[in-house]
Amino acid sequence: MAALDGAAHDVMAQNPFGGPRPAAEQEIGGLVGWILTKQSEFYREISTALRAAKSDGSAVWSLLAISFAYGIFHAAGPGHGKAVISSYLVANQETARRGIALSFASALMQSMVAVAIVAVCAWLLNATAKTMCGAEKAIEIGSYALIAAFGASLVWTKGGNFMRALQAPRPEPVLAAAAGHDHPHTHDHDHHHGDGHVHDEHCGHSHGPEPIELAGPGGWRRGLAAILTVGIRPCSGAILVLVFALAQGLFWAGIAATFVMGIGTAITVAVIAVVAVSAKDLARRVSAARDSNGVLIMRGIEFGAAGLVLLFGSALLLGYIAAERVTCL
Amino acid sequence: MLRGLSALLLLLILGASAAEAHPHVWITSTSELIYAPDGALTGVRHAWTFDEMFAAYALQGIETKTKGAYSRDELAPLAQTNVESLEEYAYFTFAKANGKKEKFNEPVDYFLEYKDNALTLHFTLPLKAPLKAKAFVLEVFDPTIFIDFKFAEKDPVKLVGAPEGCQMKFHRPNDGSASAQQLNEQTFMNGGENSNYGAMFANRITVDCP
Repeated sequence: MAALDGAAHDVMAQNPFGGPRPAAEQEIGGLVGWILTKQSEFYREISTALRAAKSDGSAVWSLLAISFAYGIFHAAGPGHGKAVISSYLVANQETARRGIALSFASALMQSMVAVAIVAVCAWLLNATAKTMCGAEKAIEIGSYALIAAFGASLVWTKGGNFMRALQAPRPEPVLAAAAGHDHPHTHDHDHHHGDGHVHDEHCGHSHGPEPIELAGPGGWRRGLAAILTVGIRPCSGAILVLVFALAQGLFWAGIAATFVMGIGTAITVAVIAVVAVSAKDLARRVSAARDSNGVLIMRGIEFGAAGLVLLFGSALLLGYIAAERVTCL
Repeated sequence: MLRGLSALLLLLILGASAAEAHPHVWITSTSELIYAPDGALTGVRHAWTFDEMFAAYALQGIETKTKGAYSRDELAPLAQTNVESLEEYAYFTFAKANGKKEKFNEPVDYFLEYKDNALTLHFTLPLKAPLKAKAFVLEVFDPTIFIDFKFAEKDPVKLVGAPEGCQMKFHRPNDGSASAQQLNEQTFMNGGENSNYGAMFANRITVDCP
């Protein structure tokens, strides 16, 4: 996108007729700027549509349509778990289908948390913005801690795999694979389909989990930590919409809008997750064509992704990334 | 190829996390620079009008005598909360006199006003020490872009009692002055880490005095 932009400007600059420079150049550039602008537009339209819905019931439909679009664009910003979900999928041996399921489950949970906060704080307790925002902040910090903890646990397991892959005798791929099995978790192979994380050990260089493995309760438990980590933190935008809807006496419309927004968010996150999984699949295929070095590389990628989750969570917790903070006024 | 793919994976995850922030609160501002009779700049007076969604959020839970009408007294505790909270964010107001950073004291004369369904916070930020500067720059923005600051279309900035010959210029973040800073995707990516990329959204007021 940026490259395209640049190319377009080059063409313009060379325009022999010396026409005026395009107006777009004067705006905040590229894809990011466009997303920011679209978001603001949709957000503004949500409040207008909610107001309209007060007197005209049919405006609810346009409210839902706008909320959906807002969700799609909004999720391009931080705080919707793209990084956590993508890293988790890359760190583990996960399928695109699971990535999509995780995205939707966590977005659904985000919506439910937002509705719960506003229902309890504003509707039941009639708390002030100060109290409500305090609650949001507390949840936010908790969610950062969860991301860090989740990352730490991923690093723990993936780090072990990586070390074993490092120590494995390099030239014989057979031995390398065997080394992967030679660890304290080996006993888990007995109840194979019950406890998911075991699969990570031996799926490494050939096949992904079979669809049947995703259906079982263990399959869901595996992703539950990711869903909780991402889903616990509601989107500030949704909370604002809900409180506004409540003030207009249209709380139900706000709730509907929140869930539709969640679906939009899930779609964006799912797309990013699928891209991440596909890239890893491709990497796996490329590395499988090699000798045991390939295994080492794959373990390295998984370890790196796990490390990123930990790094990301710690940075948020310690305030090195401040862009996601809820601002209480 | 494999190395390229690994790089792509990293980029994807980092890029997805570090890049774009997104405003949740929109503020329309008008600001006045206040000068003392001796020509020294003493402070800044802001009037910030919140978007209606944030206004509803801020007004949540406030008891009123008449439903939907908020008197200045009823809003006083909220105004107090607002100015106290703003301290953490340096009031989103950043001043430089002759290239040197200047600080503000706690706000004075603050109150909230609710009129025509719009909530406006008025407050005055006194400079720590009144100053006379050849070149004074005031920026208003949120470095994290949680809040989007836009100055009013009409009379965005006023000088009150400024010495003769002082020239005020106001630049919106999206006008030519911003593109001079070469905003592009790369700046956003780099900026995400130090979270200072909001500076590109700064509203910049410059006053040059003889």
